[in-house]
Amino acid sequence: MTFVVTDNCIKCKYMDCVEVCPVDCFYEGDNMLVIHPDECIDCGVCEPECPAEAIVPDTQPGLESWLKLNAEYASVWPNITVKREAPADAKQFDGVPDKLKQYFSVSPGRGD
Amino acid sequence: MISSTEKLDRISEEGIRRLVDAFYAKVRRDPELAPIFLRAIPGDWQPHLNKMYAFWSSVMLTTGRYKGNPVVKHLVIPGIRPHLFERWLALFNETCGELFDEGIGEEFRVKAARIAESLMLALFYRPDRPWPPEPTR
Repeated sequence: MTFVVTDNCIKCKYMDCVEVCPVDCFYEGDNMLVIHPDECIDCGVCEPECPAEAIVPDTQPGLESWLKLNAEYASVWPNITVKREAPADAKQFDGVPDKLKQYFSVSPGRGD
Repeated sequence: MISSTEKLDRISEEGIRRLVDAFYAKVRRDPELAPIFLRAIPGDWQPHLNKMYAFWSSVMLTTGRYKGNPVVKHLVIPGIRPHLFERWLALFNETCGELFDEGIGEEFRVKAARIAESLMLALFYRPDRPWPPEPTR
């Protein structure tokens, strides 16, 4: 079992989660973070830390495509364990529906 | 043994330290777990205990004190089997009950059970076999 990063992380990328994660299982894309499902130990520490409420347990129904996206990009994006400034326009994008289609970038982020 | 009136009703670094110390004292006396742990940690236990204080501090107090990869650490432990996780949880739950009041004890137990399940999946899950695994003693 694992936690999964979902739509509302896109273009918000607050990164509070990476500071509290005990097992460093976050990976950074250009405008989103993902969790490596084989490294996450399901401790749940990150879930309440996310200001965008984008992190959910995989026991919730309907997450198959997000699980797949997390697993896929965790293996190619760089690891991130230290928080940086969130994007300047993060607040504007917080809560915008269906960001995956319009804004998701496959490019890797900077990482640590 | 701590009397029920002295049970801790909040989570603190001090409480975590007492939990970890009491729990691993039990582990080292347990006929099933002791051989596995003593082989994995043959010398001084203090560094391991320090790591466990940091781990539980990170998990229960979100302090970010622990940074590590427990899945990889557990993968290389010789003799690790699913039924040992049950034994680990039984001892851990018992220790929580001795130290903490019902509500706080339950918070620890819920986290420990989820983390154990997650480690077990990482170690033992195979798509072609039933889950949870049959006890193999």
